[in-house]
Amino acid sequence: MNAIIAIALNTFREAIRDRILYLILAFALVLIAVSHFVSLLTVGSEVKIVKDLGLSAISFFGLLTAVFVGVSLVFKEIERRTIYTLLAQPVRRWQFVCGKYAGLSLVLGLSVVLTGAALLVAVALKGEAPVDLLPAIVLGFVELELIAAFAVLFSSFTNPILAAVGTVATYVVGHLSWSFDLLEKRMSGDIGKAMCRGLHAVLPNLDRLNVKASAVHGLALPPGYFGSAVVYGLSYAVLIVILACLIFERREFV
Amino acid sequence: MRRLLVMLLVAVAALGVGSARARLADIDAAGRGTKDLLYMPNGKYLKAISLGHAPLIADFVYLWAIQYYSDYTQADRYRYVEHVFGDVIAELDPGYIDPYWLGALILTTEGKDEEAGLRLLDRGFEKNPSAWILPFFAGWECERFGQFDRAAAYFDRAAMAPGAPLDLFRLKAGMTARTGNLREAISRWQDVLGDPRNNDEARAIAARQIRTLTVRADVQDLDAAIATYRARNGRPPHSLGELVRSGIVSALPADPDGNAYAYDPSAGTVSSAASRVLGS
Repeated sequence: MNAIIAIALNTFREAIRDRILYLILAFALVLIAVSHFVSLLTVGSEVKIVKDLGLSAISFFGLLTAVFVGVSLVFKEIERRTIYTLLAQPVRRWQFVCGKYAGLSLVLGLSVVLTGAALLVAVALKGEAPVDLLPAIVLGFVELELIAAFAVLFSSFTNPILAAVGTVATYVVGHLSWSFDLLEKRMSGDIGKAMCRGLHAVLPNLDRLNVKASAVHGLALPPGYFGSAVVYGLSYAVLIVILACLIFERREFV
Repeated sequence: MRRLLVMLLVAVAALGVGSARARLADIDAAGRGTKDLLYMPNGKYLKAISLGHAPLIADFVYLWAIQYYSDYTQADRYRYVEHVFGDVIAELDPGYIDPYWLGALILTTEGKDEEAGLRLLDRGFEKNPSAWILPFFAGWECERFGQFDRAAAYFDRAAMAPGAPLDLFRLKAGMTARTGNLREAISRWQDVLGDPRNNDEARAIAARQIRTLTVRADVQDLDAAIATYRARNGRPPHSLGELVRSGIVSALPADPDGNAYAYDPSAGTVSSAASRVLGS
């Protein structure tokens, strides 16, 4: 456990020193501030635009953080050959992967906390209680955790460019997973239908973690939805991290 | 020499950008028309590719629509209002209330398409059953066109929505009176009077309305009975009592103060001591 914590803190420190993270955070904060001015162009509720723009900024810039920081986590250690020093220590490979993932989670957590706080303040300044947005922010963080798990998975066996493509593709497919359901209804063959069913069941359904519309309109989520969505997202992330550990265990370094 | 060449190149390029931009703006303003809107896909498809950011895209389309419909230089811009507000924005974010009423306002006021405006408000209320503001708007639009029956029905729907203000019941009763169905209107005002949630002021208004409408309804009924009598006998009755004796009415009503209605046999007209409330 100590090894995981040490690697996580080191990954966190390394990411914090990385200028990309600052840039992404600054962009997100500026976007939330700009939403105030954009909202002046509307007719009707101004705060709705602030909320939408803020939640999307948190999600989008969180995704960028997960991709840019996540995909090079393992690759960088291999490229710099620091992995040999690290694995020569009493550190298991799975501890290394878990530590990297935990460090990335800390980075994402900090990003979401800072941008989320900025959004809540912006909404409060518009004279509306911002508590309705909390479920959307929390589930947005869970979604980022899941995406980060995929980034670590791809990072464990391929180079950063392919890992970035794979992670972004997962994000896109995760938001289009409903299309497999639709495709299944259109398919005539049993094999095609079974494939669609299988893909729909196996691929992450990120729309389950997207409650932005309900949060913005102040609609209550169905009973038990929030807890189930958190369990779904985090459990899925755990499975992907386990898969990343298994792949990394088998990897040979030349 | 080299520096001069670079500066010259920069100046030529800047001139090219500036002049081409101005030319493109002129061409755009001259011939754009509503063809901008031909390429706007249905919100269902936009939602599918929004990757979870459909409400934000709805905001942007709404902001664009506000600017677009504020441009009075395009005469035919009202052709796609229902598509933009109903098929695009409402599909992207069905809970976004503002575009429904703004789109309806553009359709009814500027586009002169009342039915399309009401359709948009209906669509919004169907998707947001607690948004009483939408049938409320629809009610006022119908009132503006003189369709008091439809206005009363819209105010009824608005009043029944969860969280709707109690005042809407008064609007419904008032609009029912404007349809000419006075007995029904009295019944609606009695509902307001008997509703314990209403304050003293609202109940006082209801009591005044019941008194006024009762006189109007009684006078209307007596006028109709006199007309029937006149048709049968070729003359108006000498007194209102003749209406009872001839079996046209079973009994004569009293006005809200308990007094008999006054009758002028020469003119064949009925009035009340409380006639000031009739506004006559």
